Amino acid sequence: MDVTPQLDALKLKYKSVQVDKLIPVDFDLGNLVAFDTNALDTAALKQSPDNYLQQLARDGTQLLLNQIFALPTESTPDGVFAALPAGTSVLPRAKPIPKDKPMTRWEKFAKIKGINKTKNTRKVYDESVDGYKPRWGYGGANSTEDDWIKEVPDNADPMEDQYAKASEEKTARIAKNKTQQLRNAQEAAHAAKGVNPREARKAEVRKRILESKGATASMGRFDKQLKNEDAVKVKRTKRKFESNTRDAGVEKEGVMNVVKKVLKVEDGKVLNMTTAVKHVHQQGGERVVDMDERKKKKQKGRSKK
Amino acid sequence: MLKAARPKTAAGKRALKKREPQLIEGAKPAVFMKGTNTSQLVTSVFRDLYALKRPDAVLLSKRNEVRPFEDPHSLEFFSQKNDAALFVLASHSKKRPHNLVFARMFDYQLLDMVEIGVERGVPMEMFKGTKSAVGHRPLILFSGDCWDASDELRTFKSILLDMYRGTQSMDGVDLAGLEHVIAVTAVSTEKVHLRTYTIQLKKSGTKLPRVELTEMGPSCDWVVRRCRPANADAWKAATKIPKELKVKSVKNIERNAMGDQVGRIHMEKQNFDKMQTRKMKGLKRGPNEDEEDEGAAEDDIPAFAKRARLEQESD
Repeated sequence: MDVTPQLDALKLKYKSVQVDKLIPVDFDLGNLVAFDTNALDTAALKQSPDNYLQQLARDGTQLLLNQIFALPTESTPDGVFAALPAGTSVLPRAKPIPKDKPMTRWEKFAKIKGINKTKNTRKVYDESVDGYKPRWGYGGANSTEDDWIKEVPDNADPMEDQYAKASEEKTARIAKNKTQQLRNAQEAAHAAKGVNPREARKAEVRKRILESKGATASMGRFDKQLKNEDAVKVKRTKRKFESNTRDAGVEKEGVMNVVKKVLKVEDGKVLNMTTAVKHVHQQGGERVVDMDERKKKKQKGRSKK
Repeated sequence: MLKAARPKTAAGKRALKKREPQLIEGAKPAVFMKGTNTSQLVTSVFRDLYALKRPDAVLLSKRNEVRPFEDPHSLEFFSQKNDAALFVLASHSKKRPHNLVFARMFDYQLLDMVEIGVERGVPMEMFKGTKSAVGHRPLILFSGDCWDASDELRTFKSILLDMYRGTQSMDGVDLAGLEHVIAVTAVSTEKVHLRTYTIQLKKSGTKLPRVELTEMGPSCDWVVRRCRPANADAWKAATKIPKELKVKSVKNIERNAMGDQVGRIHMEKQNFDKMQTRKMKGLKRGPNEDEEDEGAAEDDIPAFAKRARLEQESD
């Protein structure tokens, strides 16, 4: 049976979805964009711009929607979704690519050893209460606070307080963890600067040794030697003494330098104006000595009141 | 410059975490702000551009003395404050009447910007009919052959596309939600028309719908003024693709014309002498083998077996 006439009749009934363009239109379906690079009809644009632009937009939209409706779709209770491909237009990011977090010493070690992190459940079953408790933290299952009885180990001193010992151990563990955290943070900071953390630490220790050597009256001569302390060379400037007989002019200049420093005299002037003004003020002398414009105005304002 | 804030509270910490760079970024947030003077024309266009960009936009109500072409620092300050990547700045002066500046930031630093003058503008409220709902992704259409002819238009196209392309969601796009189209037409390298239409899908007798448009507004004619394109280094840094998102080329696997997957395998040279074949009793070495073979076979016997045999012989 030939149904072509029926189909043609149906086609005539509706407007076409076909659009002809001289240059094919580019699509970036990921961003729902079409780029129509065909030349515009300037005469039609001048005659009735709004109609022409609407016709142009309709044709472009029809082409773009034809592409979008041809994409594979998925029906969900929320509606029909077309799976869009990734966008092809090159557009800048808003912020730089996130950097990887620096690895801690443990993470580096675990990676070499091939130790994988296993996820533990947050809560564990506790027989004593016949219920679940957090693994750690407040009211945690690992807490030793509410142990009402503690076993004394065979080889331990029977008089030793096991509770005190447990709490001491815990404090020590916390302190150790804290120092390790600090060290990791420091190493990460050095690595971010592009410095070898080990070298940076060495330099720091050297600096500290030098400082400590200079801190005593004997300049570290009688201090206990640290391990490998000889490796740290202390360089001090040698003291120089002027000869007793020399040019009077040089001596005068030296003395004048001291005087200048003490009196803070500006070059070529005997009197330091700012200091002098301050002195006069403090002694309740003349009021208007060397005031700038703003101060003068301020005083005027006051006198009006 | 703003000091890098260190969070003191959990809420502060969360807020700062939100601002951290993401591997896959969502829609760029935009700030719409006014300069010290604005005209009624530029304000109406500016408000409609804001309405189209919602919900990823903030409209600042106060006026600010911002002149990005003279000094971009204040824009950078606002970018940091509002965590904004895009700016639309409305102003009006004798020298540059009805002025709009579209600016784009990368890492809170100015990347590129374009200045546009509004010659004619009809706001959204002047058009009757329904408007598109907030948050729906628009279709965008760039027409005309001049878009790649000048730096100004190239930058402007990129910024407009960046502003209105919305979030690229993983679930695709809701076909019923495609309800408006932003059509931007470049007549020459100086003149650009912006028209916005709502889409009606009609029956066409085929699977694809017939598209009809109704003007929704805003409708404006623009002239392109000053431009500051991105410098090459900044652009390169901003368009870098994270290595996690790069598509890896798959080696040695192809599809032939029939659509079958065909793989190529490269083997090392095989040694057939050492090949393990099926073990059979008949192929085992008998007790009366050749002398040469015996010698060779002797080498293959492990040391502890040799020792055991010697002991047996001595007994």
